[in-house]
Amino acid sequence: MGLHLMSIQFLPSESPIQQLAPELGSNGLPYSLPIHPNLVHFTIGLFVIAIAFDLAGALYPLEKRVFRFLALPVTRQGFHDVGWYNLLACCFITFFTVAAGFFEMLLAVPLPGVTSAIGLHSMETMLWHGVGGVVILLVIVAMTVWRGYQRFLWRKDMGRQVQWLYLLVGLAMFLIIGLHGTLGAELAAEFGVHIAADQLLAAGADLKVALP
Amino acid sequence: MFELLPPLNDHNLPWMDTLHPIVVHFVIAMGLITFVFDCIGIFARKPALFEVSFWNLLFATAAIFVAIIFGQVEAGLANPYGASSDILNLHSTIGWSLAGILSAMSAWRYVIRSKDPKQLPLPFLGAGGLLSALIVVQVTLGNQLIWVYGLHTVKVVEAMRAGLV
Repeated sequence: MGLHLMSIQFLPSESPIQQLAPELGSNGLPYSLPIHPNLVHFTIGLFVIAIAFDLAGALYPLEKRVFRFLALPVTRQGFHDVGWYNLLACCFITFFTVAAGFFEMLLAVPLPGVTSAIGLHSMETMLWHGVGGVVILLVIVAMTVWRGYQRFLWRKDMGRQVQWLYLLVGLAMFLIIGLHGTLGAELAAEFGVHIAADQLLAAGADLKVALP
Repeated sequence: MFELLPPLNDHNLPWMDTLHPIVVHFVIAMGLITFVFDCIGIFARKPALFEVSFWNLLFATAAIFVAIIFGQVEAGLANPYGASSDILNLHSTIGWSLAGILSAMSAWRYVIRSKDPKQLPLPFLGAGGLLSALIVVQVTLGNQLIWVYGLHTVKVVEAMRAGLV
């Protein structure tokens, strides 16, 4: 109880974001379109396709006949190349995804009084999405190193370049990234973070005048 | 007849959240990475990457048709206002054009790969550069619909239903 009271006394009377206010547009950013949601396309797209193609490489003996029927020449090595290079690209770009995410979250002003579809408030959603983002980056880096060991050392001379456990972890990550992405989508579509129209409406502006 | 349609939620959608922006992950990322891997393949002499970009291009082409299906449904329910109507029209036109361009480039790439998978003619790289530029324009338009006009966001749908926009 005492701690709780003390923490309230330490809250600044004015939000520190006010110091930057003259630099920011109606979307709360110093530029017109947010960067993080655009880098996310690469993180998710590259990760999902990387795992999907390693899975296709692992199940290659089952698919061989289908590709022969389609007259589409394929090699198992080719599938695993997609799995490796897409993951490598994903690992590289995700550092920027997370960095841009933190910059834009520092400037976030969620709409007050909103509870998301999964029952969280804005601060809880931002904390889960922020910490979750760092954890996902760590997992992607670890999986890239793991994938590299499989490709260049442990399974160098084997047809199936990845362990079943690796694919299982990848598929589990689909679920975690899906949940994580839902939190991010809620920050935009429900909490109105960095959406000019939502912020203008919350400020009482008439969109017919503000966004003709 | 209309009562057979599912009810719309506070995003003005029959499903939880917009699906088009999720499906376009695969068009944007796979389309642009194709060009990146083609460039590295040519300039760093790593022909193994041509196979990687071929599959990425094929996936982008498959994904764009799914993206268009969801895009059309969600555009139909978007109730654009002000300048966002024009942006949405342009976004739809470029979206359908991209489906044609991606299909043609996949076919072209299939022929190139059938002849010699270790070579990539420079005209294809040029076409890939133009495709990337068009994707960037398309993404910018889509960005404006959500980040400026907030289409399908709860706050804008609420204002729309109250007759404020």
